[in-house]
Amino acid sequence: MANDLDFTLIAKVLPILLQYLPVTLEILVFATFFGMLLGIVIAIPKLLHIPVLKQIITIYISFIRGTPILVQLFLVFYGIPALLKLVNIDVTRMDAMYFVIITYTLSNAASFAEIFRAAILTVDRGQMEAAYSVGLSGIQAFLRIVLPQAIRVAFPNMTNTMISSLKDTSLAFSIGVMDMVGRGETLIASTTRALEIYLALSIVYYVIVMLLEKVLKRNERYLNRYMPKEAASS
Amino acid sequence: MTIDYAFIFEALIEISKVLPLTLFMTVTPVLLGIVIGIIVAFVRIQQTKILAPLLNFYVSFFRGTPIIMHIMLVYFGIPIVVDVIAKALKIEYQSSSIPILFFVILALTLSAGAYASEIIRSGILSVPKGQLEAAYAVGLTFSQAMRRYILPQAFSKSIPNFTNVIIGFLHATSLAFFLSVKELTGVANIVASINLKFLEAFIAVGLIYWSVSAIVEWLAHRIEKRVTAYSRGGI
Repeated sequence: MANDLDFTLIAKVLPILLQYLPVTLEILVFATFFGMLLGIVIAIPKLLHIPVLKQIITIYISFIRGTPILVQLFLVFYGIPALLKLVNIDVTRMDAMYFVIITYTLSNAASFAEIFRAAILTVDRGQMEAAYSVGLSGIQAFLRIVLPQAIRVAFPNMTNTMISSLKDTSLAFSIGVMDMVGRGETLIASTTRALEIYLALSIVYYVIVMLLEKVLKRNERYLNRYMPKEAASS
Repeated sequence: MTIDYAFIFEALIEISKVLPLTLFMTVTPVLLGIVIGIIVAFVRIQQTKILAPLLNFYVSFFRGTPIIMHIMLVYFGIPIVVDVIAKALKIEYQSSSIPILFFVILALTLSAGAYASEIIRSGILSVPKGQLEAAYAVGLTFSQAMRRYILPQAFSKSIPNFTNVIIGFLHATSLAFFLSVKELTGVANIVASINLKFLEAFIAVGLIYWSVSAIVEWLAHRIEKRVTAYSRGGI
């Protein structure tokens, strides 16, 4: 094995890896979008204290937070076909991409549900009462008064979830998705230079994470625009 | 296909035999990471020249890239460095004799150091500056003030964050599976492949991770309650 680092190889594989960036972003976008939807849906029973449903959701969230995303990937990959076979649907030939998106959606939903719930609980109850007193209906009060304030609180945490979800997409290759890491693995097989490929992959991830962080930080400032200076900066 | 419940139980026993290894792979990096984290946090807070920007990059790089990359970079990178050094010093040492587990633990340690330093930094910064000034006023030195007033408060405020790091790294040990380390996920995969019962084996390993995480959370909650018992504030 040749010992010195081949920097030209890093430059050479970067464009090849970047061609597969859309796959990674696709997983991120779908998983975040569906994760938020599902997160809202499962946050409601916990907020409204609906019996049974609330307990089931608590167990679900605890399970997702208590197991590695890798194990969740395998569980979905082997579990969903087994489940659907019970109702005579054969999905064994389904694209692995769907399993990945399902896994990350389920995982994100648990995080988002907790974030939404905590954020809504931070909004003072008096706000809701004030909204009622000026004649808003329950839904109007929630949408116009509570939600905008809750989003401001929730946003930094949502940002963190999105960024860690982006980093987690690097595991999608383990069930055979051709994303950046998947392509990287094939490049390693053909070039036998693992270190350079992983360096290139790390550079790509680092740059995207930094960019995403910057964009989200700007949105955070926008959401805080009505806050007094001190509170906004803390 | 029906789920073989008896096999889940069998797998549970088989897989949980390697639980000590996974715990070792979790605890070592987190403890070493806290040591690194304290050093890095201090250098960054004091804004030492040259060193601080370097460590800023260290923290942002390790927080900005997936942990699987750290494991792979260390696994493929360190042997090259070791071989070069061994050659330069004319030592007969083969990097191939380093156990894989060492690379995994080293990678997780570096990663944990970056995460821990951010937590400690925010913990220290969350203690009001007046506390340090008050400590100075009664004649304590900087290190005394840190050890007796600032750090205990910083740590008690960071317990929830540290819990997340411990659980996060417990889960990160599952990545060692890619280097065929025989930890929980690795053994689950072996058990699954031998019996061709993948779902059952991964349900079993999921249950193990879940219970360990739950225990860690419960312990952290108890510790937090004790540590913050005197600092409830107000009446």
